[in-house]
Amino acid sequence: MKIVHYVNQFFAGIGGEDSAGTGPQLRDGALGPGRKLASLLGDEHEIVATAICGDDHAASHPEFAAELVAQAREHNAEMIVAGPAFTSGRYGMACARIAAAASEAGLHGLASMHPENPGLGEAAGTSVVESGAISRHMKDSLERLAAAARKVAAGEELTAQDGRIGPVARINRLAQDSAAERAVALVLTRLGGDRDATEIPLPDFDSVTPAAPVADITEALVALVTEGGFVLAGNPDRLESARATKWVRYSLDGLDSADSGEFESVHGGFSTQWANADPNRILPLDIAREMEREGVIGRLHGEVLATTGNGTTVADARRFGMEWAADLRQQNIQAAILTAT
Amino acid sequence: MHAEAGLTRVVHEVRALELGERTSYAAGRLTVGEASVKDLLRDPALAEVRLGCAAPGDSVRIVGALDAIQPCSKGAGGGGVFPGLLGPAMPAGRGETHILRGAAVIAAGYLPRAQEAVIDMSGPAAALSPLAATHNLVVEWTPAEDASWEDVDQALRRGLVKLAAHLAEAALDAAPDAVEELAEPADTCNGKPRVGVILNLQTQGKFKDVFVYGRSLSGGLPTVISPNELDDGAVVSGQYGHPALKNPTYLHQTHPVLAALRACDELELAALVLCPEPVNQADKELVSAHAARLCAQLNLDAAIATKEGGGNADADVSLKLDRLEEEGITAVGILAEMAGRDGTGPPLVVPPTKATALVSTGNYDERMTLPAVERALGRDRVALLDQPSTDEVELPVAAIYCAQSTLGWGRLTCAEAEVAR
Repeated sequence: MKIVHYVNQFFAGIGGEDSAGTGPQLRDGALGPGRKLASLLGDEHEIVATAICGDDHAASHPEFAAELVAQAREHNAEMIVAGPAFTSGRYGMACARIAAAASEAGLHGLASMHPENPGLGEAAGTSVVESGAISRHMKDSLERLAAAARKVAAGEELTAQDGRIGPVARINRLAQDSAAERAVALVLTRLGGDRDATEIPLPDFDSVTPAAPVADITEALVALVTEGGFVLAGNPDRLESARATKWVRYSLDGLDSADSGEFESVHGGFSTQWANADPNRILPLDIAREMEREGVIGRLHGEVLATTGNGTTVADARRFGMEWAADLRQQNIQAAILTAT
Repeated sequence: MHAEAGLTRVVHEVRALELGERTSYAAGRLTVGEASVKDLLRDPALAEVRLGCAAPGDSVRIVGALDAIQPCSKGAGGGGVFPGLLGPAMPAGRGETHILRGAAVIAAGYLPRAQEAVIDMSGPAAALSPLAATHNLVVEWTPAEDASWEDVDQALRRGLVKLAAHLAEAALDAAPDAVEELAEPADTCNGKPRVGVILNLQTQGKFKDVFVYGRSLSGGLPTVISPNELDDGAVVSGQYGHPALKNPTYLHQTHPVLAALRACDELELAALVLCPEPVNQADKELVSAHAARLCAQLNLDAAIATKEGGGNADADVSLKLDRLEEEGITAVGILAEMAGRDGTGPPLVVPPTKATALVSTGNYDERMTLPAVERALGRDRVALLDQPSTDEVELPVAAIYCAQSTLGWGRLTCAEAEVAR
């Protein structure tokens, strides 16, 4: 089977974070970890090309995946194998997205990452197999990926034994008893000495290491971003007031202030009366411009990125975060002020 | 214990509801005197009110449901029910209270900050809502031109409690279907584990507040009241966010966790603790620690905590569960899950760190299809979808009124399933 292998800019040997903005491209043959993968795949399969995209570009331009899949088809590829991405979030998201895009286009798609990689949620049901946490586990991870790829090529379903990982869904159903009756029963169970009984297994949350302090804020390019449902008056992009699935960007060029009539808040979690009377209360553009003029900050970024933080799913919020971070890094932003509501 | 402590609940079942010339109750049939009720609801903030009926099984959708109340009365003019709103602001929950079981009055229409709540009286969503199982008198209105939304809200709240008392007053002399004696919580040890109920009340300002004796708990500390006070309407909801997670007055009056504890022979219902849900973290921590201390002073062996509202209210439950466990009190929380449309996200916004005993009222984000209906009350259009209210609509469970109320009426929960490949 003809296979295209996807790697990020780092594993393609283009460069590190400084090259994370590299656009999508296809190169003939196997590259980097793809060479080892090719030998593990055996003679029946061939890596005809390597698809590459910088992590920042992939995170902020989801269409990279469809572009690379289209190019892979020109090479007559029947399968796209992505990764391993280990625990790298943007890379994992890119691997999951390109594997999902391959499936969507009727090719086989397969990605490899660590089970805690936040990109796992983007796989949309396409197969993902487990990798180690860090690149030191490359060899084992490639062996598992190659075995899985051979199985997928043979038209077989992957199982947990193949290292298949994926989200377990919590699906609604009706219980026999009411929640009140179940709570009383759970009290009795717990008082009886059972320390584990529960209906909701507790989730693991990411812990985020804060970025290093900005060395010199008077030289820094600073962005304003918000989850306050901040939109152009009339909400032309139809940003949701709750459970947002997207974010929007608006130019702040030439604006000294976020004026009523030009901007408003569509947030559904609080009364927007005072936000709409003076949208600077949600996005402090007036003060930020003042600080820019006075030299307190270097320069204000010319765009605001905005969404609504109200009952937003963690998966969507995580995706917004990764997309924003990638977008801001590509513009060389040193600091972002996120106004929360 | 005080000689007069305890409440006698005089139950009149409602099996049919209709509009008519004068309000009366006989043999399970509640007739609503349309003219007198409209008179009762008259308020400068309301230009017009309209009444509609919805019975279980009807092909009716109620859109924009706000508060719902079970009719109750202790005598003429209410006799002290809904203290602080209708009756004088004094503790209630003693003597006799007549209730119309199986009936509710519901306000339905537009208010700011009110997230659109849907009740389907038939079809797949009906099994999820306690107010799909009641004979409902639905109040619609047109606000007066110069009225503020706050005045409209207050007019509706005052009107609804008056209406609830008025309807139950019709049954004061009727032979009851049942008489239920509700004891005061025991202050002694009789060998059974003592279990408390922690009732978090949302306190987020206008249109997102809950009233105790007619006032908000905002800024206050937890307080202990008799569970029997809820039957008399000591807690009235003015909170219109998060439809599925709403705890309307009706669910306070019929509090399912209190009912389940009263029905349990092996446990003693020992206390009801009301708590505000502050909007900032430091206050959440203070209220939680204080509530746990109260529970310790009450010699509780276990407590069940509930919430109202979305993500940030998870913290109010989780912090309390953790503090209770630290006090050596077995803590059980009832929470809804927010696991994303496909159910694969982390289910809780703020999980506990020490406590682990949780009951789930289902995933808020999962969608369901509600078939078209013949008739709609409340609002003509489902604003969330910009569709006529009578259409087939696809909505998240989050929009189904009380479907996930952590007061525990519903049977919705989550089970783990492999994601469909």
